[in-house]
Amino acid sequence: MNMSMKDRKTRTQANVLQGPLGWGLLVASGIVLLASLAFALIQLMVNGHTSFNTGSTLPWGQPIATYLYFALASSGLGLIASLPLVFGFKQYYPVAKRCIFLAFIVLISGMAVLALELGNVFRMLWAIPLNLQVQSAMFWMGVFYALDLLFLLWKFSKLQGGEWDSKTAKQVGIASFIGVLLASGNLALIFGMMSMRPFWFDALLPIYFYFTGVTSGVAALVFFIYLAHGFQRERMPPALKALLTGALPKLFAALIGGTLLFITVRAITGLYSNNPEINLVWTDYLFASPLYNASLLLGLLLPFVVMLSASLRNSVGVQVLVACLVFLGLFAERFYFVVGGQVVPMFRGTWEPGLISYTPSTTEWSLTFIGISLCFVLYLLGEKFLNLGDMPRHMAEAPAGAPAAGAPAAGAPAAGAQANTA
Amino acid sequence: MAKWGMVIDLDKCTGCQACTTACSMENNTLPGESWQDVLFYHEGEYPSAQMKWLPRPCMQCENPSCVHVCPTRATYKDPDAGGIVFVDWNKCIGCKYCMIACPYGVRFYADEKPLIEPDIREAYPSENGQLWSPPYQNPDEDWQRGIGIQPPGVVSKCTFCYHKVKHAPEGVADLDEDNPEVKEYVPACVRTCAPKARYFGDLDNPESQVNQLIGDRHGVRLKDHTGNRPQVYYLGAGAGVPAFTPADREHDA
Repeated sequence: MNMSMKDRKTRTQANVLQGPLGWGLLVASGIVLLASLAFALIQLMVNGHTSFNTGSTLPWGQPIATYLYFALASSGLGLIASLPLVFGFKQYYPVAKRCIFLAFIVLISGMAVLALELGNVFRMLWAIPLNLQVQSAMFWMGVFYALDLLFLLWKFSKLQGGEWDSKTAKQVGIASFIGVLLASGNLALIFGMMSMRPFWFDALLPIYFYFTGVTSGVAALVFFIYLAHGFQRERMPPALKALLTGALPKLFAALIGGTLLFITVRAITGLYSNNPEINLVWTDYLFASPLYNASLLLGLLLPFVVMLSASLRNSVGVQVLVACLVFLGLFAERFYFVVGGQVVPMFRGTWEPGLISYTPSTTEWSLTFIGISLCFVLYLLGEKFLNLGDMPRHMAEAPAGAPAAGAPAAGAPAAGAQANTA
Repeated sequence: MAKWGMVIDLDKCTGCQACTTACSMENNTLPGESWQDVLFYHEGEYPSAQMKWLPRPCMQCENPSCVHVCPTRATYKDPDAGGIVFVDWNKCIGCKYCMIACPYGVRFYADEKPLIEPDIREAYPSENGQLWSPPYQNPDEDWQRGIGIQPPGVVSKCTFCYHKVKHAPEGVADLDEDNPEVKEYVPACVRTCAPKARYFGDLDNPESQVNQLIGDRHGVRLKDHTGNRPQVYYLGAGAGVPAFTPADREHDA
C-alpha cells in the first residue's frame, strides 16, 4: 500500500516513561548498572576469572546462559517485528518499532555480558576477522549477530524517519528477518552440533531456540509496553489496546504452550534414553532440582493454564504477571540448558564422584545484573527520546476495531489515549 | 615429517602417577591443570569389584573437534610438528568452546578457582604477563604453541612435550627413553614411566615400535565413535572405559 509523504508522518504517543517516572527508573537502573559493573570489573581485575565458579570441568556457566537468554530474546523480538514489517500482519504495527528497538538493546546487553565472560575480549576484534575459521559456528555467530545488529539499527532508523512501507524499508525488514533467523539458528547449532555433548546434540535445536526465543521476546515486549503506559491500558492508543486484548495474548498463550511441548518431548526422549549423558541430566540434575521444577511449574505451566482463559488472558494484571513469570521461567530454562549439557563428567574417575556441581558466584550474578540493568537504561533512554510507541499515521488515528487498522474489534477508544507530546 | 603417536599399555601401567607429576614439573602446570592425569575408578561390586585406572593425555586427534570449533584458529593441528594440536596463546580469546568440543576433557582453563589452598599463584605472583611465575620454569617458552606458563584467560593443554620432541633427529622411528641417542627428546610422561607402559614414535613409519604394538596387541582408541581418531592408542584390559555412573548409584549400574 503506497502512502503519501503526509500519511507517513507519525505522531508521538504519550507514555509515562517520558515523565518523572522515567527519570526515576533511569536513575535507579543506572545505579544498579554502575554498581554491578564496578563490582564485576574490580573482581575481574583483581581476581580474574577465579571470581567465577566455572572451571575446567564445567567451562560455561551463568554468564553464557545470560548471553544466550538475551541473544534469543533479541531474536524473538526481531521475529515479532517481522510479523507486520515482513509478513503484513498489520495489527502488530503498534509494537513494531518498540520490538526493533528492544531487539537491538537486548542484544547489546547480551553482548556486554559475553564480553565480560571471555578471557581476552579485545583480541576477539582482530583474531576472528583475520583468521576466518569458517568451520567454527562461533565464527558465524560473530558474523550473523554483527549483521543482525546492523540490520536492526538500519531498520530502526527507517522507522524513526517515518518510513513504514517504503520499498527500502521492506527490503531492510526482510534482510533483518533473515539475519535474525541465521543468527539465532546458528547460535543453536553452537550447542546442537556438539555430538560429544549428547544433552545438546540435536539437529532441531534451532527450531527450539526460535520458539523459546519468541516466547521470551513476547514476555519482554508485554512487560515493557505496560511499563511504558504505567500498567494502565487506558493510556494506550486504541490500536495497541486492541492488539493487547486480541492477537498478542493469544499468540503468547500459544507460544508458552509450544515451549512446554518442546520441553516435554525433550524430557521424554531424555528419560527414555539409556545414555547416561542424557538420562542422568534429566533424572539427577533437572528433575532433582526444586528450582528447575519450580521454574517449569510456575514459570511456564501456570502461565499457560492462566492464559487459556479468555477473560484472564486479557486482564492487565494477568498479562504483566505472566510476562514476568515467563521471563524468569525461561531464564531458568536457559541456565539449566547450558549447565545441564556439562554436568555429567566425560569419564569415570575424573575426581568427581557425582555430577559436577555448579552454583553461580557473586561476580557471575553481577554480570547478569549488568545485562538486565543495561537493558533497562537503554530502554528508558529509548522511551524518552525515540518515540518507541510510534506507528503508521493511519493506524494511530483510526479508532479501535476499524478495518483500516487491521486490528480486531476492541472496546471503545479511551479518551486521552493519544496525545502529542510537547 | 613424522606423525607422532603414543601407545599406553594398561596391562603394565601401575597407576603410580609419575607421568602426571613429571608432566606437571616439565610444563609448570597448576594443581588441577593436569595435562596428563590418571583417572581412578572401580567397576562392579564385591566379590567381583575391580579397581581400575586410565592415564589420559591429550589424544592429539587426527580429526580434532577442538580445532574445528575454535573461532580464531588459536587451536590448530600442525602437520609440520608431527600432527600435534597446539594452542596459540597470542590468539586465544578464552571462549572455552574447544573445552566444550573436546570429548576427552583434556583442555584446561587455569584461570579458575584454585584446586587446593593456599593458591600457589599467590605465592609466585604473575610477572611478564604470565598467569603465575614460579622460580623454576621450562626455559623453552613458546606461546604460539602453548608451551611454558600461559597468560591469564587462555586455554592450555598437553603438547606431547614438543619443546623436547622437536629436537629429535629427522626420520627417527621411535623416541625410546632407553636409547641414549634420543632420550632427551622423549616426552616427560614417557621418559619417567617406571614400568615402561608408554611408547612414543612415528605412526607413519611402518617400522616403528608403536605401530608394531598397535598391530600386534590390538591397540584401541578411546571413544572412537566420536570420529576424532586419536593419535594415542591403548593396549590391554581397561581400554574400554565404562559409562559414567554417580558414586551413590554404583549398585544400579
